[in-house]
Amino acid sequence: MSISTPQAGGNRRSSAKPAAGAKPTAGAKPTAGGKPAAGAKPAAGGKTAGKAAGGRTTPPTLAKGTRPGGAGGGNKGGRPPFTPVKVSQGRNWGPIALFTVVGLVAASIIGFGVYEVYKNGLSWQQKADAISGIVDYRKTEPDLLKPAQHAYGKISYPQSPPVGGKHNPNWQRCQGDVYPDQIPNENAVHALEHGAVWITYNPSLPKDQVDKLAAKVKGNDYMLMSQYPGLDKPISLQAWGYQLKVDNANDSRIDEFIKDLRENASQEPGTPCSSGNYTTKTGPDPVNLGQSAAPSTAPSAAAPTPSASS
Amino acid sequence: MMFGRLTTDPRRRALLLGALVAVVTLLIGYGAGLLTPSLTAPGDNSAEAGFARDMSTHHAQAVEMGMVAYQKATNDEVRQLGYNIALTQQAQIGMMSIWLKDWHLEPTGSRPKMAWMPNGSAELTPDGLMPGMATDAQLAELHSATGKDVDILFCQLMLRHHLGGIHMIDGVLQESHNDMVRQLAQTMKLNQQGDVDVLQDLLTQLGAKPLGS
Repeated sequence: MSISTPQAGGNRRSSAKPAAGAKPTAGAKPTAGGKPAAGAKPAAGGKTAGKAAGGRTTPPTLAKGTRPGGAGGGNKGGRPPFTPVKVSQGRNWGPIALFTVVGLVAASIIGFGVYEVYKNGLSWQQKADAISGIVDYRKTEPDLLKPAQHAYGKISYPQSPPVGGKHNPNWQRCQGDVYPDQIPNENAVHALEHGAVWITYNPSLPKDQVDKLAAKVKGNDYMLMSQYPGLDKPISLQAWGYQLKVDNANDSRIDEFIKDLRENASQEPGTPCSSGNYTTKTGPDPVNLGQSAAPSTAPSAAAPTPSASS
Repeated sequence: MMFGRLTTDPRRRALLLGALVAVVTLLIGYGAGLLTPSLTAPGDNSAEAGFARDMSTHHAQAVEMGMVAYQKATNDEVRQLGYNIALTQQAQIGMMSIWLKDWHLEPTGSRPKMAWMPNGSAELTPDGLMPGMATDAQLAELHSATGKDVDILFCQLMLRHHLGGIHMIDGVLQESHNDMVRQLAQTMKLNQQGDVDVLQDLLTQLGAKPLGS
């Protein structure tokens, strides 16, 4: 519309009277466009000014409140410019209040939505990292934790108990298995790779605490538990790349660790915990499939010593 | 100055007001749209989430037993039934794990197993297992069995496993109004009821009986 063009804007700014004259010349049709424009503008301006002034019920302002008068009498004291400003402010209180209320309601709704989305959007990694005392080796040992590195024989791990790394092709069964003894690191690490949480405890842990831990494991898929001779703390929890050591089976961080990492830590989502090795007869020596247990320090796929039975 | 002029002219003011109302309305709509799925999705303690988690564990044992049957049973029909159960239930585990992801829930709940069922943890066996699940000793027996014993033991354990599973399915059908959950639960129930008939027939053929209770 013509209102939005710079020309029209410029015309209106100067004053109502010259604008009425300028308009027809700017328009394409001087005769047709000139009359209504010239007639409409001052009329409209006068009407709103009068209406607004009348609405405020301040008779003195009515006399001086007309636009041309206000613009022309800028020098005369504070009153003439003062009045229009006051009128226009008063006029806007309603919409301002409305917008403020609507805006606040909208902002709080949107803010709540964003918060909910943020909270839901916290990744399990962020939740796990927030557990006090947890060690996140995924940040410090990315090479160690490269998945799917299989090897036979004994493997030495930088962490005790191990949290990941090369492992035996045969995973330790981790379908809620509570092993009464020690299990081979090499098979257990493979269970971690499948997404299991492995609870280990020092053999000196009191029986009531062992039972408490076992209750968190028994009948729960992607969980396994075993003794760990030489463990430097009473209890240690492992998931692929994560470790948390605690002193007591009542520590609430145990459940947090399980909730945040069980299955989530899997390097092969959807891989089962069933089947695999579930014997403990070999003690710390890995249990191979298709070959005999080969206690060798060189983890190599081509080092089977066909002697001991599996 | 610009804003001042806009707000003093009634038509511009109306235009501005209209634009602001439109923007605010759009923002509210967008926010509501973002929020609605997370507000209407089953929560962490819902029956749906409990079912998805517990049935996944329950299914996982059926997968293991089915694979043993597929690998070692002597009767071809038992082998094929094991194959069918293992593949179907493994796929359903995947479906249920995607439900949980969609609902922004972890695979692990905050409450004990079966707490979502009307009877809660009273449903667990004395071993702390879900209804119908085989004990560690029974599974070890199945793993070490040979010949026709595999067929019989699998049919016995699987029959009881399915009956327990159907009981849990009835639980979620009673508690849930979620169409997606109900739909899968209903088909699970029909399929497992079908398997129950087959397993009973197979046991008769094999000259064996179902396990007690």
